[in-house]
Amino acid sequence: MVDISKLIEVRGHARGGQGMVTAFEILAKIFSYRYNYEVQAFPFFGVERTGAPIQAYLRISPEAILTRNYIYQPHLIVIFDEGLIDQTPVFDGLYEEGSLLINTENPPEFFKGKAKHIYTVPATRISVENKLGSKTLPIVNAAMVGAMLKILGADISEATEIIYEEVPAKPEANEKSAKTAFRQVQELTDEHYQPAQNGQTPPVSKEPEWDVPFWDKPMSINKTGNWRVIAPKYEELEAPCTDNCPAGTDVRKFVRLASEGKFEEAYEIIYQHNPFPAICGRVCPHFCQQNCNRIFLDEKVNIGAIERFIGDKNGQYPHQPETVENKEKIAVVGSGPAGLTAALRLRKMGYEVTVFEALPKAGGMMRSGIPAFRLPPDVLDKEIEKIERQGVKIITDKKVTIDELDEKFSAIITAVGSHIGSNLRIGNDELLIDGIEFLRDLNISGKKEQVKKGETVAVIGGGNTAIDVARTVLRLGTKPTIYYRRTRQEMPAIAEEVEEAIKEGVPIQFLTAPVRLKNKNGRHELILQKMELGEPDESGRRRPVPVEGSEYSVLTDKLIKAIGQWPDPFVFSGKEIEARQGRLNEVMADSKTPVFCAGDMAWGGTVVEAIGSGNEVGREVDAFLKGKEWKKPEKNREVATHDRINYRYYLPTPGNPTPVTTPGNLTNNFDEVASGLTQETILKEAGRCLHCGECFNCGNCLNYCPDAAIFIDDDFRLRIDYDYCKGCGICVRECPCSAIQYVEESSLAETEPKNELHQK
Amino acid sequence: MIPENEFLITEENMYSGALSCRGCGWTLLARYVSSVMGPKTVYVVPACCFSIIAGPNPMNLLKGSVVHTVFAAAAATATGVRRALDRQGKTDANVVVLAGDGGTFDIGLQALSGAAARQENIVFICNNNGAYMNTGVQSSTGTPTGARTTTDPQGKKLPAKNLMGIIEAHNIPYSATASPAFLMDLKSKLEKAREASGFRFLMVDGPCPPGHKHDPDRSIELARLAVETNYFPLFETENGQFNITYTPKTQVPVSEYLKHQGRFANVMQDESNNGLQIIQQQVDQNWKHLSSKQNLN
Amino acid sequence: MLQFETTEMQKTPRADLLTRHTKKVLKGNSAAAIAAKLSKVSLVTAYPITPQTSIIEEITNMIASGEFDAESVNMESEHSVFAALIGASLAGERVFTATSGQGLFYAHEVLHAIAHMRLPVVACNVGRPSFPWNIWADQTDSISQRDTGWVQYYCESSQEVMDTIIQSYRLAEKLKLPVMVVLDAFYMSHTSENVYIPDQKMVNEFCPPREKMDDQIDLEHPKAFGGLVGPDMYDKYNRLYWESIRKVESETIQLGNEFDKTFGRKYAAVEAVNIHEKTEKILVTMASVTTTARQIVNRHPEVGLLKIRLFKPFPKKSVLSVLDNVSGDCAIINIDRNYPGDTEGALMQEMKRALHGTPYNIFGVYTGLGGRDVSSKTIEKIIESDFDKTGIDGVIWMT
Repeated sequence: MVDISKLIEVRGHARGGQGMVTAFEILAKIFSYRYNYEVQAFPFFGVERTGAPIQAYLRISPEAILTRNYIYQPHLIVIFDEGLIDQTPVFDGLYEEGSLLINTENPPEFFKGKAKHIYTVPATRISVENKLGSKTLPIVNAAMVGAMLKILGADISEATEIIYEEVPAKPEANEKSAKTAFRQVQELTDEHYQPAQNGQTPPVSKEPEWDVPFWDKPMSINKTGNWRVIAPKYEELEAPCTDNCPAGTDVRKFVRLASEGKFEEAYEIIYQHNPFPAICGRVCPHFCQQNCNRIFLDEKVNIGAIERFIGDKNGQYPHQPETVENKEKIAVVGSGPAGLTAALRLRKMGYEVTVFEALPKAGGMMRSGIPAFRLPPDVLDKEIEKIERQGVKIITDKKVTIDELDEKFSAIITAVGSHIGSNLRIGNDELLIDGIEFLRDLNISGKKEQVKKGETVAVIGGGNTAIDVARTVLRLGTKPTIYYRRTRQEMPAIAEEVEEAIKEGVPIQFLTAPVRLKNKNGRHELILQKMELGEPDESGRRRPVPVEGSEYSVLTDKLIKAIGQWPDPFVFSGKEIEARQGRLNEVMADSKTPVFCAGDMAWGGTVVEAIGSGNEVGREVDAFLKGKEWKKPEKNREVATHDRINYRYYLPTPGNPTPVTTPGNLTNNFDEVASGLTQETILKEAGRCLHCGECFNCGNCLNYCPDAAIFIDDDFRLRIDYDYCKGCGICVRECPCSAIQYVEESSLAETEPKNELHQK
Repeated sequence: MIPENEFLITEENMYSGALSCRGCGWTLLARYVSSVMGPKTVYVVPACCFSIIAGPNPMNLLKGSVVHTVFAAAAATATGVRRALDRQGKTDANVVVLAGDGGTFDIGLQALSGAAARQENIVFICNNNGAYMNTGVQSSTGTPTGARTTTDPQGKKLPAKNLMGIIEAHNIPYSATASPAFLMDLKSKLEKAREASGFRFLMVDGPCPPGHKHDPDRSIELARLAVETNYFPLFETENGQFNITYTPKTQVPVSEYLKHQGRFANVMQDESNNGLQIIQQQVDQNWKHLSSKQNLN
Repeated sequence: MLQFETTEMQKTPRADLLTRHTKKVLKGNSAAAIAAKLSKVSLVTAYPITPQTSIIEEITNMIASGEFDAESVNMESEHSVFAALIGASLAGERVFTATSGQGLFYAHEVLHAIAHMRLPVVACNVGRPSFPWNIWADQTDSISQRDTGWVQYYCESSQEVMDTIIQSYRLAEKLKLPVMVVLDAFYMSHTSENVYIPDQKMVNEFCPPREKMDDQIDLEHPKAFGGLVGPDMYDKYNRLYWESIRKVESETIQLGNEFDKTFGRKYAAVEAVNIHEKTEKILVTMASVTTTARQIVNRHPEVGLLKIRLFKPFPKKSVLSVLDNVSGDCAIINIDRNYPGDTEGALMQEMKRALHGTPYNIFGVYTGLGGRDVSSKTIEKIIESDFDKTGIDGVIWMT
């Protein structure tokens, strides 16, 4: 406790706006009104502004105070803002036996050597808890009054009334703050304190350097960086498109490169995660697009079209064969997107990789499940050929099991996909055609006989297979109808595909589910039941609930089910093994080679998810072979979600949808329905990107910085000169895409760049 | 890759280190003024925040000459500078007054009117932050209805003076309002003011975190809302031709602008909404007046 | 070594220089206007006020006719008149204006600014008082500006007005101080009398164009002027001012000597008439009253006359030098045509200050306020007065 039986001189250091001057006045009043002391409280009379370092003084004495000058050798130094310690000589002149009070989260020990008596109080935390001040400037005065009362040995209960009356606003919060701080003061007395340590220097009145009254030195002599309590910094956030891409593609980056016309670089960015840009550009549901922040402004960026353009444009990209650097050999079962991606990743890591494919042609579901009018086979051929060119060996017509591969390889990856259609279980299942089989037969062997021209075909299901089947049989001259038990909103199929199917003339019956099937005079009688939507199920979609007594029947020539697919257990030699992503430990019991799993059989159900799965399994296998522990990488980057976007800085600009043709005569017309955009349109479309979370040099920060503290460096990057940034936060708030974040002062590097304008 | 037009300051003629509060609109304005006017400019500054911001001895914030002068007579001192420079054949140098609302609406009005009436070849720029901020937020005749100041602790009852009307009545070649949130507009108006000859006047909205009682990072947002709510409409009068330079695309109620500012806390907390209605009426009336004026063209 | 004692000032030029002058009958105001032209003033700001108005009228007419090459600006107030001079003078022009009474009061704050921005402004003030409305001779207006830091000369004749303005530019530009040249309303401003106008060549020689200074606007080397200064620097600038203002008295005398060489008329800080060892009373005067006092002194050998020409800064050394041989019994009688609202007039206050520590009896007279005539009879009455008896604390209100 500070001895107040004689004159006590206190010097305070704070920032303009933190309320120090008011705090000292309150203390003066407390000691005058309650203890009948003589008092003086006054600021250093300056013109400094909010945030700037300021000083104030307090004298309390049981006897008359016979001085009126500033205080140079205080008994007590009070620091309202810890940041000032590095910025101004706050410890100067303290008496040998003097005391120090600091607003800090640190314990008193942290400041050892600065004074004999050290007190600390977490005034900022207390003030923030009581909602006093703002993030950029907490008003800590009431808490500091409480702490000072404590160390001056006063009674807080005597003082609260004065605090209540004297604070300009929020009296209850201030009173509470003071009381809390009073209790939370920590103390340390350092008996070994050597005054010389704090570099006490007698105050020197500076001799003016200029004798003619004019003002000709640059203002930048005055470094306002020490006004800052919180620092803005250019720090990227994850883009929501990138964040939502199962393959992990840096979507924002390739879109930006495309907008700059750098299509080859854009291709390389995609290729880092996805060896099938031309395919994904066509058939991917584009999770990236679905998460596009532009939706909240006008319409999403047509990333699919951009990807397709980049893929097609780089059809002749000169991929080079990769060299083999490792002795381990890897087998991949299945040449779908997951298998080929995993194979390519491992090949690039220097492993010899062999892919086994049961069908006569590689491509997996991309080949067998997707009709040519959506994905022309030559596009697929080209992308697979590129993978082969890089050294991946593909053996087709080779259906293998892991038992056959055991011990011949160092690792086996199974990625056989889900090619077995689920059963409908409505009786007479043998009358049903399986959708996935139907598509495979048609795509691989050209087998069309299952349906005949003029027939009516009922298609059951709401996924992409159902839609693809319906559109395919339509082209074979039949009259398909889709029956789906929920509504269009819940359909798992890609919305655009549904749209196209309807346009082509495929009727869809919603809220209806098949219950029974009968053979009636060579035709099928399908009994259906009307449904309504109930509570959401675990997928988040509303569950279909049968409407009692609503059964009805339709007659149809053919019935195709497309309600889901399962992996073929053949690869595990018929063993019941639950397929999931990564290492399958249970297979180890009877096989010596470690087995991994990826693709549709493990998770997902789209090409891009399979690619993501392939990437991941590739990394896992590599880690395993190198004897490293492997953990699925966690996403921990903050995402620039739409609430962090300043839409006012973007002009609404109509999007450029992918042109889709609905041919007049569809019969036997398997031409691709969607066409690519022209280069000119792609440049425009890519230019619509909001650059969420990534600085795109829009210049808002530089344009709006009142302190000219932002500049462009030699590499044409925007930089903050922390010598001058006052931390007002305008750049953070006005950044269109949330590429500037508030960071702790301590996280700034000492080598932050400086604006040359001020370095003279 | 820098899209050149995105960076509005092509020539930075203001140093960092200004003694202005965080988020100061005026300092931002000074950047634009100095950038557009160039270093061959003499700034004349009456008593106001900028007297401090411009630099204590021996420093100078701007790359340009700065003449500090008495509160009431910035336009007169500028007159002296202009006439002297003209006499020396330095007609290409700009003479620019940087004044606050006190030095424009109130104590400076006589000298301003005198210089405007003489068609002195100077640019007079008023940073209108709606109170005497340098002395700690006292009411001026530019203080708007409802705003709380230390001399109108219950909020000002009277409306602000229609200074632009007074200015226009002097039949000067160019007068305009501008906002630090609308930088392209601000810049083009500064350029027009620079290129015109005779007395030119710009009144720029001046967000002021400590005076208007808002977080410093909101300065630009609030300046933008001032325009979007028609609270501070953007217009110009060029050789007698009146022109609204920005029409908000959607109608934003004025409360959106007022609610983030502590100076309007009385207005916003009043459950009767009387004050808010009066302010909204003022704003609507003024916009109606401006629109009809526009239609006269 | 400077001699602070002065001989009688001459109004007419030395015979050899007579041909280089044109003799004209001029009002004091005209003399001021012509002096501005002769001094090659380049910028004049104007605002009318009685009894000064004709100065700026004549100047603007001369400029309009082309005989005076300068810029003139009709401002909207005296405040602006002086504020505009800040700008023009900072930009390097030689500037001039004239005002009077209320106009000067109104410009008061600007006078401070001009002085402490160290601007070499020269202005003429035709003295008249404040409220109730009065437009006649009185020095209260300029006396009220004592503390603004301006150098003040009080002139006795049209000739002196002209000569003083010319000298003032030399002084102002050398020491970076503003100068106020004061003449009395009507008794001088509107009184036509003989004036010898020097030829322009002589004036050019004596008063060359204003030199470029460091502390003026230079577009190529921009800087600021008059901004905020901290306590240390403010202190320093005032100390520098003090150093300059202390030089004014000796500089005035040097300039007077130099002026004499060129023009054949001599000026100093003060003028002593009939002051010697046996002088019993000394009348201390400023401006037009001096002329009338001269006649009284001529009649009374025991009475001397001390004319104060340089009033601010007060020429203490010159005064002491004049009194060097004067007996300590001598009464010093100060005639104050100003009322500073105090028990003593301004001149009396200043003389007391200057004579602090001397044995002289110092008395004061308030007279001639608001243009009240100060006749020879008034002055006779003054020298006959028994200040100890009739004065209140040594001061007589002479009606």
